[in-house]
Amino acid sequence: MGVTCVCQVPVTEGKSVQQTVDALHKKLEQLGAVKQGSFWVDCETYHPTGNVSGQPSKLLYVMHNSETPLSCMGLFEGGPCLIADANFDVLMVKLKSHFQNAKAHKVECRGSRYRYCDFLIKVGTVTMSSSARGISVEVEYCPCVVPGDCWNLTKEFMQSFLGTSVPELPSVFAAKPEGLFAPSDCVDTMTQYLELFNKLRKMQMPGSNVR
Amino acid sequence: MADALHVGVNLDAFSHAISGIQALRSSVSRVFESLKDGMKNRETLEGREKIFISGFQEQLQSVNRDLNELERLSGLVGRPSESHPLHNSGLLSLDPVQDKTPLYSQLLQAYKWSNKLQYHAGLASSLLNQQSLKRSANQMGASAKRRPKVQPSTLVLPPQYVDDVISRIGRMFPDLTIELFRPNGTSAVLLVTLGKVLKAIVVMRSLFIDRTVVRGFNENVYNEDGKLDIWTKSQYQVFQKVTDHATTALLHYQLPQMPDVVVRSFMTWLRSYIKLFRQSLHKAVPVSLSALWTVPAGRTPSHLERL
Repeated sequence: MGVTCVCQVPVTEGKSVQQTVDALHKKLEQLGAVKQGSFWVDCETYHPTGNVSGQPSKLLYVMHNSETPLSCMGLFEGGPCLIADANFDVLMVKLKSHFQNAKAHKVECRGSRYRYCDFLIKVGTVTMSSSARGISVEVEYCPCVVPGDCWNLTKEFMQSFLGTSVPELPSVFAAKPEGLFAPSDCVDTMTQYLELFNKLRKMQMPGSNVR
Repeated sequence: MADALHVGVNLDAFSHAISGIQALRSSVSRVFESLKDGMKNRETLEGREKIFISGFQEQLQSVNRDLNELERLSGLVGRPSESHPLHNSGLLSLDPVQDKTPLYSQLLQAYKWSNKLQYHAGLASSLLNQQSLKRSANQMGASAKRRPKVQPSTLVLPPQYVDDVISRIGRMFPDLTIELFRPNGTSAVLLVTLGKVLKAIVVMRSLFIDRTVVRGFNENVYNEDGKLDIWTKSQYQVFQKVTDHATTALLHYQLPQMPDVVVRSFMTWLRSYIKLFRQSLHKAVPVSLSALWTVPAGRTPSHLERL
Protein backbone atom coordinates (compact mmCIF):
# COMPACT_ATOMS: atom_id res chain seq x y z
CA MET A 1 0.00 0.00 0.00
CA GLY A 2 1.43 3.31 -1.04
CA VAL A 3 0.61 6.97 -0.63
CA THR A 4 -3.04 7.79 -1.15
CA CYS A 5 -4.80 11.05 -1.82
CA VAL A 6 -8.58 11.41 -1.74
CA CYS A 7 -10.20 14.50 -3.18
CA GLN A 8 -13.52 15.81 -4.31
CA VAL A 9 -14.16 16.61 -7.93
CA PRO A 10 -16.76 19.33 -8.60
CA VAL A 11 -19.62 18.42 -10.89
CA THR A 12 -19.19 20.07 -14.26
CA GLU A 13 -21.53 22.96 -14.90
CA GLY A 14 -24.66 21.87 -16.70
CA LYS A 15 -23.93 18.16 -16.34
CA SER A 16 -25.22 15.51 -13.98
CA VAL A 17 -23.04 13.59 -11.55
CA GLN A 18 -23.17 10.50 -13.72
CA GLN A 19 -22.13 12.43 -16.83
CA THR A 20 -19.15 13.93 -15.01
CA VAL A 21 -18.10 10.49 -13.76
CA ASP A 22 -18.40 9.09 -17.28
CA ALA A 23 -16.23 11.92 -18.59
CA LEU A 24 -13.60 11.09 -15.96
CA HIS A 25 -13.69 7.40 -16.93
CA LYS A 26 -13.24 8.34 -20.54
CA LYS A 27 -10.25 10.56 -19.76
CA LEU A 28 -8.61 7.80 -17.72
CA GLU A 29 -9.13 5.26 -20.47
CA GLN A 30 -7.64 7.65 -22.99
CA LEU A 31 -4.61 7.98 -20.75
CA GLY A 32 -4.20 4.22 -20.95
CA ALA A 33 -5.56 3.22 -17.56
CA VAL A 34 -7.10 -0.24 -17.32
CA LYS A 35 -10.32 -0.86 -15.46
CA GLN A 36 -9.99 -3.36 -12.63
CA GLY A 37 -13.38 -4.03 -11.11
CA SER A 38 -15.17 -1.79 -8.66
CA PHE A 39 -14.81 -0.52 -5.09
CA TRP A 40 -16.95 0.80 -2.29
CA VAL A 41 -16.43 2.71 0.96
CA ASP A 42 -19.15 3.31 3.49
CA CYS A 43 -19.46 5.19 6.74
CA GLU A 44 -22.00 4.93 9.55
CA THR A 45 -22.33 7.54 12.25
CA TYR A 46 -23.03 6.76 15.93
CA HIS A 47 -24.10 9.29 18.54
CA PRO A 48 -22.98 8.61 22.07
CA THR A 49 -25.97 8.52 24.38
CA GLY A 50 -24.25 8.35 27.74
CA ASN A 51 -23.58 11.78 29.15
CA VAL A 52 -20.15 12.34 30.53
CA SER A 53 -20.36 15.55 32.47
CA GLY A 54 -18.13 18.37 31.35
CA GLN A 55 -17.08 16.73 28.09
CA PRO A 56 -18.56 17.48 24.69
CA SER A 57 -19.83 14.25 23.19
CA LYS A 58 -17.78 12.90 20.33
CA LEU A 59 -19.24 11.16 17.33
CA LEU A 60 -18.05 7.69 16.40
CA TYR A 61 -17.74 6.73 12.76
CA VAL A 62 -17.60 3.10 11.63
CA MET A 63 -16.22 2.66 8.14
CA HIS A 64 -15.72 -0.20 5.68
CA ASN A 65 -13.53 -0.36 2.63
CA SER A 66 -13.64 -2.95 -0.14
CA GLU A 67 -9.81 -2.97 -0.19
CA THR A 68 -9.85 -4.48 3.30
CA PRO A 69 -13.03 -6.57 3.24
CA LEU A 70 -12.29 -8.42 6.48
CA SER A 71 -11.66 -5.32 8.54
CA CYS A 72 -13.72 -2.52 9.84
CA MET A 73 -12.58 0.81 11.15
CA GLY A 74 -13.80 2.83 14.07
CA LEU A 75 -12.84 6.49 14.13
CA PHE A 76 -13.63 8.93 16.89
CA GLU A 77 -14.20 12.46 15.78
CA GLY A 78 -10.76 14.07 15.92
CA GLY A 79 -9.54 11.34 18.19
CA PRO A 80 -8.12 7.86 18.16
CA CYS A 81 -9.05 5.23 15.65
CA LEU A 82 -8.99 1.50 15.70
CA ILE A 83 -9.00 -1.30 13.18
CA ALA A 84 -11.24 -4.25 14.05
CA ASP A 85 -12.61 -7.40 12.49
CA ALA A 86 -15.68 -7.12 10.34
CA ASN A 87 -17.99 -8.30 13.11
CA PHE A 88 -17.35 -5.05 14.97
CA ASP A 89 -20.72 -4.02 13.51
CA VAL A 90 -22.42 -6.70 15.60
CA LEU A 91 -20.68 -5.40 18.67
CA MET A 92 -21.98 -1.93 17.96
CA VAL A 93 -25.53 -3.30 17.92
CA LYS A 94 -24.90 -4.68 21.41
CA LEU A 95 -23.62 -1.27 22.53
CA LYS A 96 -26.93 0.29 21.56
CA SER A 97 -27.36 1.77 25.00
CA HIS A 98 -24.18 3.80 24.59
CA PHE A 99 -24.06 4.54 20.87
CA GLN A 100 -27.08 5.34 18.75
CA ASN A 101 -26.85 4.66 15.03
CA ALA A 102 -27.82 7.72 13.04
CA LYS A 103 -29.19 5.79 10.07
CA ALA A 104 -30.00 8.90 8.07
CA HIS A 105 -26.34 9.85 8.12
CA LYS A 106 -25.07 6.75 6.37
CA VAL A 107 -22.77 7.73 3.51
CA GLU A 108 -21.66 5.45 0.73
CA CYS A 109 -19.20 5.81 -2.08
CA ARG A 110 -19.19 3.38 -5.00
CA GLY A 111 -17.42 3.37 -8.30
CA SER A 112 -14.80 1.86 -10.57
CA ARG A 113 -11.20 1.07 -9.90
CA TYR A 114 -8.56 1.77 -12.51
CA ARG A 115 -4.88 0.89 -12.71
CA TYR A 116 -2.38 2.98 -14.62
CA CYS A 117 1.14 1.53 -14.25
CA ASP A 118 1.91 1.94 -10.55
CA PHE A 119 -1.03 4.25 -9.90
CA LEU A 120 -4.38 3.04 -8.60
CA ILE A 121 -7.29 5.34 -9.33
CA LYS A 122 -10.79 5.05 -7.87
CA VAL A 123 -13.56 7.26 -9.14
CA GLY A 124 -16.66 7.05 -6.98
CA THR A 125 -20.06 8.61 -6.53
CA VAL A 126 -20.83 9.67 -2.97
CA THR A 127 -24.45 8.98 -2.04
CA MET A 128 -26.27 9.89 1.12
CA SER A 129 -29.76 8.51 1.76
CA SER A 130 -29.98 7.45 -1.91
CA SER A 131 -29.16 10.85 -3.39
CA ALA A 132 -25.90 11.55 -5.15
CA ARG A 133 -23.95 14.24 -3.34
CA GLY A 134 -20.68 14.43 -5.20
CA ILE A 135 -17.75 12.72 -6.83
CA SER A 136 -14.67 11.41 -5.10
CA VAL A 137 -11.37 10.53 -6.68
CA GLU A 138 -8.77 8.47 -4.85
CA VAL A 139 -5.30 8.21 -6.31
CA GLU A 140 -2.74 5.85 -4.83
CA TYR A 141 0.90 5.67 -5.86
CA CYS A 142 1.76 2.17 -4.73
CA PRO A 143 5.59 1.93 -4.75
CA CYS A 144 6.31 4.89 -2.47
CA VAL A 145 5.76 5.13 1.27
CA VAL A 146 6.83 8.70 2.03
CA PRO A 147 4.07 11.19 1.14
CA GLY A 148 6.46 14.14 0.99
CA ASP A 149 8.61 12.39 -1.60
CA CYS A 150 6.03 11.48 -4.15
CA TRP A 151 3.45 14.20 -3.65
CA ASN A 152 4.62 16.26 -6.63
CA LEU A 153 4.60 13.15 -8.75
CA THR A 154 1.06 12.27 -7.68
CA LYS A 155 -0.09 15.86 -8.14
CA GLU A 156 1.31 15.96 -11.64
CA PHE A 157 -0.44 12.73 -12.49
CA MET A 158 -3.74 14.00 -11.10
CA GLN A 159 -3.43 17.17 -13.13
CA SER A 160 -3.32 15.07 -16.26
CA PHE A 161 -6.91 13.93 -15.86
CA LEU A 162 -8.45 16.29 -13.30
CA GLY A 163 -7.21 19.53 -14.76
CA THR A 164 -7.27 22.40 -12.30
CA SER A 165 -9.23 20.78 -9.47
CA VAL A 166 -6.17 19.17 -7.91
CA PRO A 167 -6.03 19.41 -4.12
CA GLU A 168 -3.14 20.44 -1.92
CA LEU A 169 -1.23 17.92 0.16
CA PRO A 170 -3.84 16.23 2.39
CA SER A 171 -3.76 17.53 5.95
CA VAL A 172 -3.24 14.02 7.37
CA PHE A 173 0.22 14.04 5.80
CA ALA A 174 1.00 17.64 6.68
CA ALA A 175 0.72 16.66 10.33
CA LYS A 176 3.57 14.13 10.05
CA PRO A 177 6.09 15.35 7.52
CA GLU A 178 8.66 12.63 8.07
CA GLY A 179 6.14 9.96 8.88
CA LEU A 180 5.68 6.78 6.96
CA PHE A 181 2.51 5.83 5.26
CA ALA A 182 2.79 2.38 6.76
CA PRO A 183 0.79 -0.59 5.47
CA SER A 184 -1.46 -0.53 8.53
CA ASP A 185 -2.16 3.11 7.87
CA CYS A 186 -5.14 2.72 5.66
CA VAL A 187 -6.30 4.92 8.54
CA ASP A 188 -4.89 7.84 6.56
CA THR A 189 -7.02 6.94 3.58
CA MET A 190 -10.13 6.49 5.69
CA THR A 191 -9.56 9.79 7.51
CA GLN A 192 -9.47 11.51 4.15
CA TYR A 193 -12.70 9.81 3.10
CA LEU A 194 -14.30 10.85 6.38
CA GLU A 195 -13.26 14.47 5.86
CA LEU A 196 -14.71 14.36 2.36
CA PHE A 197 -17.96 12.82 3.57
CA ASN A 198 -18.35 15.43 6.31
CA LYS A 199 -17.70 18.21 3.83
CA LEU A 200 -20.35 16.86 1.46
CA ARG A 201 -22.79 16.29 4.31
CA LYS A 202 -22.58 19.91 5.37
CA MET A 203 -23.13 21.07 1.83
CA GLN A 204 -26.57 22.32 0.98
CA MET A 205 -28.54 19.93 -1.14
CA PRO A 206 -28.18 21.60 -4.53
CA GLY A 207 -31.78 21.16 -5.58
CA SER A 208 -33.42 17.90 -6.47
CA ASN A 209 -32.09 17.72 -10.03
CA VAL A 210 -28.78 16.21 -9.00
CA ARG A 211 -29.62 12.76 -10.20
CA MET B 1 28.71 -2.15 -75.66
CA ALA B 2 32.26 -2.55 -76.88
CA ASP B 3 32.84 -4.90 -74.01
CA ALA B 4 29.92 -7.06 -75.15
CA LEU B 5 31.28 -7.29 -78.71
CA HIS B 6 34.69 -8.18 -77.45
CA VAL B 7 33.19 -10.95 -75.43
CA GLY B 8 31.26 -12.18 -78.48
CA VAL B 9 34.50 -12.63 -80.44
CA ASN B 10 36.12 -14.32 -77.51
CA LEU B 11 33.32 -16.82 -77.19
CA ASP B 12 34.23 -18.28 -80.58
CA ALA B 13 37.84 -18.65 -79.56
CA PHE B 14 36.71 -20.18 -76.32
CA SER B 15 34.80 -22.97 -78.03
CA HIS B 16 37.83 -23.71 -80.22
CA ALA B 17 40.08 -23.71 -77.21
CA ILE B 18 37.79 -26.10 -75.39
CA SER B 19 37.80 -28.55 -78.29
CA GLY B 20 41.62 -28.14 -78.39
CA ILE B 21 41.81 -29.15 -74.76
CA GLN B 22 39.62 -32.15 -75.46
CA ALA B 23 41.92 -33.20 -78.30
CA LEU B 24 44.99 -32.84 -76.11
CA ARG B 25 43.44 -34.88 -73.37
CA SER B 26 42.46 -37.69 -75.71
CA SER B 27 45.93 -37.85 -77.30
CA VAL B 28 47.58 -37.90 -73.85
CA SER B 29 45.29 -40.66 -72.72
CA ARG B 30 46.09 -42.60 -75.88
CA VAL B 31 49.83 -42.43 -74.94
CA PHE B 32 49.16 -43.93 -71.56
CA GLU B 33 46.84 -46.49 -73.06
CA SER B 34 49.53 -47.83 -75.37
CA LEU B 35 52.12 -47.77 -72.56
CA LYS B 36 49.77 -49.79 -70.41
CA ASP B 37 49.12 -52.36 -73.16
CA GLY B 38 52.83 -52.82 -73.71
CA MET B 39 54.41 -54.57 -76.69
CA LYS B 40 52.22 -56.60 -79.01
CA ASN B 41 53.09 -60.19 -79.72
CA ARG B 42 55.24 -60.39 -82.87
CA GLU B 43 57.56 -63.09 -84.19
CA THR B 44 60.82 -61.39 -83.35
CA LEU B 45 61.80 -59.24 -80.38
CA GLU B 46 63.23 -56.60 -82.71
CA GLY B 47 60.01 -56.31 -84.68
CA ARG B 48 58.08 -55.93 -81.45
CA GLU B 49 60.30 -53.12 -80.17
CA LYS B 50 60.38 -51.34 -83.50
CA ILE B 51 56.65 -51.20 -83.88
CA PHE B 52 56.15 -50.13 -80.24
CA ILE B 53 58.67 -47.28 -80.47
CA SER B 54 57.32 -45.96 -83.76
CA GLY B 55 53.77 -46.03 -82.38
CA PHE B 56 54.92 -44.25 -79.22
CA GLN B 57 56.73 -41.56 -81.21
CA GLU B 58 53.68 -41.00 -83.36
CA GLN B 59 51.49 -40.56 -80.32
CA LEU B 60 53.92 -38.17 -78.65
CA GLN B 61 53.99 -36.11 -81.82
CA SER B 62 50.24 -35.88 -81.86
CA VAL B 63 50.35 -34.72 -78.21
CA ASN B 64 52.88 -32.10 -79.22
CA ARG B 65 50.73 -30.99 -82.11
CA ASP B 66 47.65 -30.68 -79.92
CA LEU B 67 49.57 -28.73 -77.33
CA ASN B 68 50.86 -26.26 -79.90
CA GLU B 69 47.37 -25.84 -81.27
CA LEU B 70 46.05 -25.14 -77.75
CA GLU B 71 48.74 -22.57 -77.10
CA ARG B 72 47.86 -20.77 -80.28
CA LEU B 73 44.15 -20.75 -79.36
CA SER B 74 44.83 -19.51 -75.86
CA GLY B 75 46.54 -16.47 -77.35
CA LEU B 76 43.29 -15.66 -79.14
CA VAL B 77 41.17 -15.96 -76.04
CA GLY B 78 43.10 -13.15 -74.35
CA ARG B 79 43.20 -12.09 -70.72
CA PRO B 80 39.92 -11.53 -68.86
CA SER B 81 39.04 -7.83 -68.70
CA GLU B 82 40.49 -6.23 -65.57
CA SER B 83 38.18 -3.24 -65.82
CA HIS B 84 35.29 -4.90 -63.98
CA PRO B 85 35.67 -4.77 -60.15
CA LEU B 86 34.22 -8.24 -59.76
CA HIS B 87 36.48 -9.71 -62.52
CA ASN B 88 34.95 -12.57 -64.38
CA SER B 89 31.93 -12.82 -62.09
CA GLY B 90 31.04 -9.33 -63.35
CA LEU B 91 30.22 -10.98 -66.68
CA LEU B 92 27.21 -12.53 -64.98
CA SER B 93 25.52 -9.13 -65.30
CA LEU B 94 25.45 -9.68 -69.06
CA ASP B 95 23.26 -12.72 -68.63
CA PRO B 96 20.08 -11.90 -70.61
CA VAL B 97 17.85 -14.21 -68.54
CA GLN B 98 18.38 -12.19 -65.36
CA ASP B 99 14.78 -12.55 -64.23
CA LYS B 100 15.00 -16.31 -64.03
CA THR B 101 18.41 -16.57 -62.42
CA PRO B 102 19.07 -13.51 -60.24
CA LEU B 103 22.57 -14.76 -59.59
CA TYR B 104 24.30 -11.46 -60.22
CA SER B 105 22.15 -9.39 -57.84
CA GLN B 106 22.52 -12.05 -55.15
CA LEU B 107 26.26 -11.96 -55.63
CA LEU B 108 26.31 -8.18 -55.22
CA GLN B 109 24.25 -8.46 -52.02
CA ALA B 110 26.68 -11.00 -50.64
CA TYR B 111 29.64 -8.75 -51.38
CA LYS B 112 27.99 -5.76 -49.73
CA TRP B 113 27.06 -7.83 -46.70
CA SER B 114 30.52 -9.18 -46.22
CA ASN B 115 32.07 -5.72 -46.62
CA LYS B 116 29.72 -4.31 -43.99
CA LEU B 117 30.43 -7.19 -41.64
CA GLN B 118 34.13 -6.61 -41.92
CA TYR B 119 33.71 -2.89 -41.28
CA HIS B 120 31.54 -3.38 -38.18
CA ALA B 121 33.79 -6.06 -36.79
CA GLY B 122 36.69 -3.65 -37.10
CA LEU B 123 34.80 -0.92 -35.26
CA ALA B 124 33.67 -3.29 -32.51
CA SER B 125 37.13 -4.64 -31.89
CA SER B 126 38.65 -1.17 -31.62
CA LEU B 127 35.90 -0.11 -29.17
CA LEU B 128 36.32 -3.19 -27.02
CA ASN B 129 40.06 -2.77 -26.88
CA GLN B 130 39.67 0.74 -25.46
CA GLN B 131 37.73 -0.49 -22.43
CA SER B 132 40.29 -2.85 -21.11
CA LEU B 133 38.85 -2.78 -17.59
CA LYS B 134 35.41 -4.03 -18.48
CA ARG B 135 34.32 -7.60 -18.26
CA SER B 136 33.57 -8.12 -21.91
CA ALA B 137 36.88 -6.71 -23.06
CA ASN B 138 38.70 -8.72 -20.47
CA GLN B 139 37.31 -11.97 -21.73
CA MET B 140 38.28 -11.10 -25.25
CA GLY B 141 41.53 -9.24 -24.82
CA ALA B 142 43.25 -11.06 -22.02
CA SER B 143 44.78 -14.33 -22.99
CA ALA B 144 43.29 -17.56 -21.77
CA LYS B 145 46.34 -18.14 -19.63
CA ARG B 146 45.81 -15.02 -17.56
CA ARG B 147 42.22 -15.48 -16.57
CA PRO B 148 42.56 -18.49 -14.31
CA LYS B 149 45.37 -16.66 -12.53
CA VAL B 150 43.23 -13.63 -11.69
CA GLN B 151 40.13 -15.49 -10.65
CA PRO B 152 41.24 -17.74 -7.84
CA SER B 153 42.98 -14.98 -5.91
CA THR B 154 39.85 -12.82 -5.82
CA LEU B 155 37.33 -15.63 -5.56
CA VAL B 156 38.83 -17.20 -2.50
CA LEU B 157 38.76 -14.21 -0.23
CA PRO B 158 38.28 -14.96 3.45
CA PRO B 159 34.75 -14.18 4.66
CA GLN B 160 36.23 -11.91 7.30
CA TYR B 161 37.70 -9.68 4.60
CA VAL B 162 34.35 -9.50 2.78
CA ASP B 163 32.65 -8.54 6.04
CA ASP B 164 35.20 -5.78 6.59
CA VAL B 165 34.80 -4.34 3.11
CA ILE B 166 31.02 -4.36 3.35
CA SER B 167 30.93 -2.73 6.77
CA ARG B 168 33.38 -0.07 5.59
CA ILE B 169 31.15 0.70 2.62
CA GLY B 170 28.14 0.76 4.94
CA ARG B 171 29.84 3.41 7.10
CA MET B 172 30.62 5.50 4.03
CA PHE B 173 26.98 6.03 3.12
CA PRO B 174 24.78 7.09 6.04
CA ASP B 175 21.52 6.65 4.12
CA LEU B 176 22.36 3.09 3.09
CA THR B 177 21.71 0.31 5.55
CA ILE B 178 23.53 -2.86 4.58
CA GLU B 179 22.75 -6.16 6.26
CA LEU B 180 24.87 -9.17 5.46
CA PHE B 181 23.54 -12.72 5.37
CA ARG B 182 25.23 -16.00 4.57
CA PRO B 183 22.34 -18.35 3.81
CA ASN B 184 24.35 -20.98 1.98
CA GLY B 185 28.00 -21.48 2.79
CA THR B 186 30.39 -18.58 2.52
CA SER B 187 28.68 -16.58 -0.21
CA ALA B 188 27.21 -13.38 1.13
CA VAL B 189 23.82 -11.92 0.35
CA LEU B 190 23.37 -8.23 1.11
CA LEU B 191 20.09 -6.57 1.94
CA VAL B 192 20.59 -2.91 1.11
CA THR B 193 17.93 -0.51 2.33
CA LEU B 194 18.10 2.92 0.78
CA GLY B 195 16.34 5.48 2.94
CA LYS B 196 12.63 4.86 2.71
CA VAL B 197 12.73 4.38 -1.03
CA LEU B 198 13.84 0.91 -1.92
CA LYS B 199 15.38 -2.34 -0.82
CA ALA B 200 17.94 -4.09 -2.95
CA ILE B 201 19.04 -7.69 -2.56
CA VAL B 202 22.58 -8.15 -3.79
CA VAL B 203 23.89 -11.69 -4.20
CA MET B 204 27.66 -11.85 -3.94
CA ARG B 205 30.19 -14.44 -4.93
CA SER B 206 33.14 -13.54 -2.76
CA LEU B 207 33.36 -9.82 -3.58
CA PHE B 208 31.83 -10.12 -7.04
CA ILE B 209 28.24 -9.01 -7.40
CA ASP B 210 26.40 -11.85 -9.02
CA ARG B 211 22.81 -10.74 -9.13
CA THR B 212 20.61 -8.01 -7.82
CA VAL B 213 16.88 -7.50 -7.30
CA VAL B 214 15.36 -4.17 -6.32
CA ARG B 215 12.01 -3.94 -4.57
CA GLY B 216 9.88 -1.29 -2.95
CA PHE B 217 10.45 -0.26 0.64
CA ASN B 218 7.11 -1.75 1.66
CA GLU B 219 7.51 -5.01 -0.22
CA ASN B 220 8.46 -8.33 1.31
CA VAL B 221 12.08 -9.33 1.13
CA TYR B 222 11.65 -12.55 3.08
CA ASN B 223 9.98 -15.83 2.16
CA GLU B 224 7.33 -17.48 4.26
CA ASP B 225 10.09 -19.52 5.90
CA GLY B 226 11.98 -16.41 6.91
CA LYS B 227 14.75 -16.65 4.34
CA LEU B 228 15.75 -13.86 1.99
CA ASP B 229 13.80 -14.10 -1.25
CA ILE B 230 16.35 -13.44 -3.95
CA TRP B 231 14.24 -14.41 -6.94
CA THR B 232 10.82 -12.73 -6.95
CA LYS B 233 10.53 -9.60 -9.04
CA SER B 234 9.04 -6.43 -7.63
CA GLN B 235 5.31 -6.03 -8.21
CA TYR B 236 5.81 -2.38 -9.15
CA GLN B 237 6.87 -1.35 -12.61
CA VAL B 238 9.20 1.34 -11.27
CA PHE B 239 11.29 -1.15 -9.38
CA GLN B 240 11.29 -3.69 -12.19
CA LYS B 241 12.85 -0.95 -14.27
CA VAL B 242 15.31 -0.05 -11.54
CA THR B 243 16.25 -3.73 -11.27
CA ASP B 244 17.03 -3.76 -14.98
CA HIS B 245 19.16 -0.67 -14.61
CA ALA B 246 20.96 -2.07 -11.58
CA THR B 247 21.74 -5.27 -13.45
CA THR B 248 23.19 -3.22 -16.26
CA ALA B 249 25.20 -1.22 -13.75
CA LEU B 250 26.72 -4.29 -12.16
CA LEU B 251 27.72 -5.59 -15.55
CA HIS B 252 29.22 -2.22 -16.27
CA TYR B 253 31.34 -1.91 -13.14
CA GLN B 254 33.87 -4.70 -13.46
CA LEU B 255 37.41 -4.54 -12.19
CA PRO B 256 38.66 -8.04 -11.40
CA GLN B 257 41.84 -6.79 -9.77
CA MET B 258 40.02 -4.59 -7.25
CA PRO B 259 36.59 -6.09 -6.52
CA ASP B 260 35.99 -3.83 -3.50
CA VAL B 261 36.09 -0.75 -5.75
CA VAL B 262 33.39 -2.35 -7.86
CA VAL B 263 31.11 -2.88 -4.87
CA ARG B 264 31.70 0.68 -3.72
CA SER B 265 30.96 2.12 -7.16
CA PHE B 266 27.79 0.08 -7.37
CA MET B 267 26.61 1.34 -3.98
CA THR B 268 27.42 4.95 -4.93
CA TRP B 269 25.39 4.47 -8.05
CA LEU B 270 22.51 2.87 -6.16
CA ARG B 271 22.51 5.68 -3.60
CA SER B 272 21.61 8.22 -6.25
CA TYR B 273 18.15 6.63 -6.34
CA ILE B 274 17.33 8.34 -3.04
CA LYS B 275 15.64 11.04 -5.12
CA LEU B 276 13.72 8.52 -7.21
CA PHE B 277 10.25 9.81 -6.38
CA ARG B 278 11.17 13.45 -5.96
CA GLN B 279 11.71 14.06 -9.62
CA SER B 280 8.68 15.14 -11.55
CA LEU B 281 7.27 13.00 -14.30
CA HIS B 282 8.30 15.25 -17.13
CA LYS B 283 11.81 15.90 -15.93
CA ALA B 284 12.49 12.20 -15.87
CA VAL B 285 13.38 11.90 -19.50
CA PRO B 286 13.19 8.30 -20.60
CA VAL B 287 16.55 7.34 -21.99
CA SER B 288 17.37 3.94 -23.32
CA LEU B 289 19.40 1.57 -21.23
CA SER B 290 22.42 2.09 -23.42
CA ALA B 291 22.77 5.61 -22.09
CA LEU B 292 23.53 4.16 -18.70
CA TRP B 293 26.81 2.85 -19.94
CA THR B 294 28.06 6.37 -20.10
CA VAL B 295 26.91 7.35 -16.59
CA PRO B 296 29.98 7.41 -14.39
CA ALA B 297 29.91 6.46 -10.73
CA GLY B 298 28.26 8.93 -8.43
CA ARG B 299 26.10 10.62 -11.01
CA THR B 300 22.36 10.91 -10.65
CA PRO B 301 20.50 8.35 -12.71
CA SER B 302 18.39 10.95 -14.40
CA HIS B 303 17.23 8.51 -17.01
CA LEU B 304 14.37 7.06 -15.06
CA GLU B 305 11.36 5.93 -16.86
CA ARG B 306 8.78 5.79 -14.19
CA LEU B 307 5.67 5.09 -16.16
